[in-house]
Amino acid sequence: MGNKMKRKGFLGMIILVAFGFFFFLLLGVVEDPAAQTKPAEKVKPVAAKPKPKVAQKLIVASGTDALTMDTHFGLDAPTFTILDHMVESLLELTPKGEIVPRLAEKWEVSSDATEFTLKLRKGIKFHDDTPFNAEAVKVNFDRLLDPKVAIRYRFLVAPISTVSVVDDYTLKIKTKAPFAALLSNLTHQATAIQSPTSLKASWDKAVAKPIGTGPFIFKEWVPGNKFVMARNDQYWGKKALLEEVTWRVIPDDASRVVALETGEVHVAVRIPPFDIPRLKANPKLTVLDAASVRTIYLGFNCLKEPFNDKRVRQAINYAVNKEAIVKHVLGGVGRVSDAAISPGIFGYTPIKTYEYNIEKAKALLAEAGFPKGFETTLHPAVGRYYMDASVCTAVAADLLKVGIKAEIKMMEWGTYLPSILREKDQVEHKIYMLGWGCVTGDADYGLYTLFHSGEWPKKGMNASFFKNEKLDQILDAARSTANPEERKKLYKEALTIIHDEAPWLFLHSEVQMVGVQKNVKGIIVHPTERVIAKEAWIE
Amino acid sequence: MSSQYIIRRLLIMIPVLFGVSLIIFTIVRVLPGDPAVVLAGPHATKDVVEQVRIQLGLDKHPVTQYVIFLKNIFRGDLGTSSRTGLPVTQEIMARFPNTLLLALASILVATVLGVLTGIIAGVKQNSKFDYLSMLVALFGISMPVFWLGLMLMLLFSIQLGWFPAVGADSFKHLVLPAITLGANSTAIIARMTRSSMLEVIRLDYIRTARAKGLTEKLVIWRHALKNALIPVVTVIGLQTGTLLGGAVLTEIVFAWPGIGRLLVESILSRDYPVIQGVVLLVATLFIFINLIVDIIYSFLDPRIRYH
Amino acid sequence: MGSSETEYSERKERGRVWEVFRRLSKRVTALIGLVIVLLFLISALIAPLLAPHDPYEHSLAHKLAKPSWDYPLGRDELGRCILSRIIYGARISLLIGLIVISIGIFVGVPVGVVSAYYGGKVDFIVQRFVDTMLAFPGILLALLLIAMLGVGLHNVMIAVGISTIPIYARLARSSVLAIKSRQFVEAARSIGASHLRIILQHLIPNSLSPIIVQSTLHMATAILWAAGLGFLGLGVSPPTAEWGAMLNGGRLYIRVAYHVATFPGLMIFITVLGFNLLGDGLRDALDPRLKT
Repeated sequence: MGNKMKRKGFLGMIILVAFGFFFFLLLGVVEDPAAQTKPAEKVKPVAAKPKPKVAQKLIVASGTDALTMDTHFGLDAPTFTILDHMVESLLELTPKGEIVPRLAEKWEVSSDATEFTLKLRKGIKFHDDTPFNAEAVKVNFDRLLDPKVAIRYRFLVAPISTVSVVDDYTLKIKTKAPFAALLSNLTHQATAIQSPTSLKASWDKAVAKPIGTGPFIFKEWVPGNKFVMARNDQYWGKKALLEEVTWRVIPDDASRVVALETGEVHVAVRIPPFDIPRLKANPKLTVLDAASVRTIYLGFNCLKEPFNDKRVRQAINYAVNKEAIVKHVLGGVGRVSDAAISPGIFGYTPIKTYEYNIEKAKALLAEAGFPKGFETTLHPAVGRYYMDASVCTAVAADLLKVGIKAEIKMMEWGTYLPSILREKDQVEHKIYMLGWGCVTGDADYGLYTLFHSGEWPKKGMNASFFKNEKLDQILDAARSTANPEERKKLYKEALTIIHDEAPWLFLHSEVQMVGVQKNVKGIIVHPTERVIAKEAWIE
Repeated sequence: MSSQYIIRRLLIMIPVLFGVSLIIFTIVRVLPGDPAVVLAGPHATKDVVEQVRIQLGLDKHPVTQYVIFLKNIFRGDLGTSSRTGLPVTQEIMARFPNTLLLALASILVATVLGVLTGIIAGVKQNSKFDYLSMLVALFGISMPVFWLGLMLMLLFSIQLGWFPAVGADSFKHLVLPAITLGANSTAIIARMTRSSMLEVIRLDYIRTARAKGLTEKLVIWRHALKNALIPVVTVIGLQTGTLLGGAVLTEIVFAWPGIGRLLVESILSRDYPVIQGVVLLVATLFIFINLIVDIIYSFLDPRIRYH
Repeated sequence: MGSSETEYSERKERGRVWEVFRRLSKRVTALIGLVIVLLFLISALIAPLLAPHDPYEHSLAHKLAKPSWDYPLGRDELGRCILSRIIYGARISLLIGLIVISIGIFVGVPVGVVSAYYGGKVDFIVQRFVDTMLAFPGILLALLLIAMLGVGLHNVMIAVGISTIPIYARLARSSVLAIKSRQFVEAARSIGASHLRIILQHLIPNSLSPIIVQSTLHMATAILWAAGLGFLGLGVSPPTAEWGAMLNGGRLYIRVAYHVATFPGLMIFITVLGFNLLGDGLRDALDPRLKT
């Protein structure tokens, strides 16, 4: 009997719960359509959310997440883009390519480019109230130069021999040899100045949150989802108008565009070409375009067969139709590379483009011992560059025509990049995709760490494990020459060697396409591939 | 009686839980390469790799390693994500509520729609409604969820603009993913309810009730339904568990920040600590849901206790 | 009596019409299922004869071209013929389905049969193992195995195949348990037939029909899961023509060129539906007990 009672009780409960379900469903059914058919009654069925009052909270949809909170440990532009709002560099590179003051007010360079004197701005405090002064900057340089700290962008400052505090707001930097690129390098976000208090607490590890002097303060980071920053009301410069900026990670291009169109985000990066006409026709949206200093390439692992053979590398360069990729995959926005760096960078000279020539490619492959091609793998960057995955499938399809079967292996960006940059005996990639933005505007940045044999990972970024002694000499010489004309000549020579040796499949330089809601003003799309929201506002 | 059954059921669960943990434990160890490097991830410096090796006792005997592995699980320590450097538990807990919400909303949709359809189809066997609804149910079972999701998104967010397409910020965001994820279960529950109804309606006491002259409605609602729903409860329970696993595809389509998406991202990142954690959590939950379902079932239908 | 009989027969008549329609339709649906499955098999087997173009021949200039006379389902994001890729994709799906089911049957069935036949401790241990594998809901076990094995065609087949083993083991076990104590098994045992002989000659053949039904339904699941993995980028890698991967590739263009994602998705749906219809039909035909 007891059992039976229990049974009844249970049944009763279940029926009750079921009724609860029905009730909720009814609520849903009755209430929702009424609320939701309203927008449909309008002529244009674009989901618009009328806001009662414009909150100054901006949402930016980016393709990839920040990889670290520590700007010194940063690797990629999306990370630097976010951190730039909180942690500031000493100097700033304007969209036009001029170097202007930021945390450093004035500077002097000795005529042989070995001594740099920096005058710092006064009366600035870090977000943790630590005062900003010459001592604080010195701590940053000490860390950037400390060999015990694994900093990938050390080459930016490596030639520095001493950093000394002259007075509270004056700093003197001496270099071992002439180092003309230093000022450009101090505009790089990897050399930005963090609070010495937080650095000392976490010297050889990445800091848990970014503490700088910038117009925004770190608020929250939900990895893989969003990054939130709030306005710094104590900012030394022009205070931000936005109360809050959220960076939302939407890796999928299509979803990012949809989020922009439905008004869920204010700004979305990398709008695919075929969506641009539609977005431009939308009265609520606009598409900003800006050239980029980024060069996209597929790198070969020159230590692995068959890519240790120059002829194979050249064959692939002939086999891929770069023009068609730019025209049809990128929708014409982009420029086929004719050198390893883009125009507008100091040291750029057009060299040549490998023409699309299947016969030549086949001949070279046959010469190298692969008349029927071979099988290999290709690691694309996913969600990082403009149409990256599509570019890779197009390349793979072209390679198929000369018998090279490249299996595409996807990896998430946050892991992909560090895994490409592993030591030579640990890497698995044969062909990898990367884009290098020459963000300091100087060829030294664009070539040294990518092609110098002293810059093989883990130290630097020469993930092709390329080695050419003559090139090494030229790059070293160009680095320690003060005369600009002399340097230009050397870089031309370097670019010629790189073109001929073909450690890359040279593809194109990018154009940035950023979609923005029309009521959002003041967004800057920087050629160094950064979206800057510091002075933006919502109308 | 019933307590005996529950105890037996609990005892059976223990080896299964151990089995699950053992499978997950083994996986990282059989991967090619040094497990310490695998678990520390591609970011790791040599120091970090060594730290991981010592922490997990990877230099010790496999049995000791397994004991350490279990100890860590019981302490709620699932290791550190090699991708973000955050504790795995923190990563999972940040996303799990979203998946739970999605799964519950889906099962709600599936239960209401599925049970209603199943009852009507069963009672009105061979009617147009029966025929059509079962055909639709078959569609529901055959539909690839990711495709359904895309098509719903195309229609309701892009064309009509009724619901947002991606994200998880409000009730509106929940609608399309919940329908997408629930479609399959709706179909399964509807089919189950229908066949269960049919079986019960044929039973003797229903016939008796009918013969006694009780109205058809009363017969159905008071007698048939009560008994027909017993196996349906089991299916609903099992579907809830399946939905946790099936959320992966839906979460990817709608960029829903749950553990399914976390799992896929982790696989693409080879973030093995997180993969371990997510799989362990979902499997354990599924085992417990099964247990609860079985116990409820044993109350509803005492016969099975003696199996 | 007369009038009530008319009423009765009228009602019955209406019921009978529906009954006939239902039966017919039931047969029709099974028939439709069979036709779909046959079409699927044929296109997989003679793909090169059917496909109007080379499925890997690309032409960026014609990317996303709308369906036309020459390209009935249009062209994809690289300008390849979608119809040809779908036809070739049937090969991949068929291959995956067959291998997956083979793994499930050749490992799962013996395990289940042995477990049921010997009973006792063997059964207990085997069943706990099966329980363990069933504790990974849905596609989760396959995902875990993919995480371990890496992506690619072979690994997809192995991963999905392994995840179906416990289901076949369960099925074989329960059907053997049902017939184990029947007379002919007892008789074989009493004349001293060896275990192996009993298992091979009596138990397996007699538990075959639910396995056939299950396999048909499982073809559907295998195709669905493999496509799901392809969609996640964790399955067969591009440029191989696989339906899930095709759908994923076309997803980006769904606004401007609906056909690139829609047709592969439709093909997955129709094929899976075909196997499900056929499986349901087979169940009704082979296993009258389950007939409703």
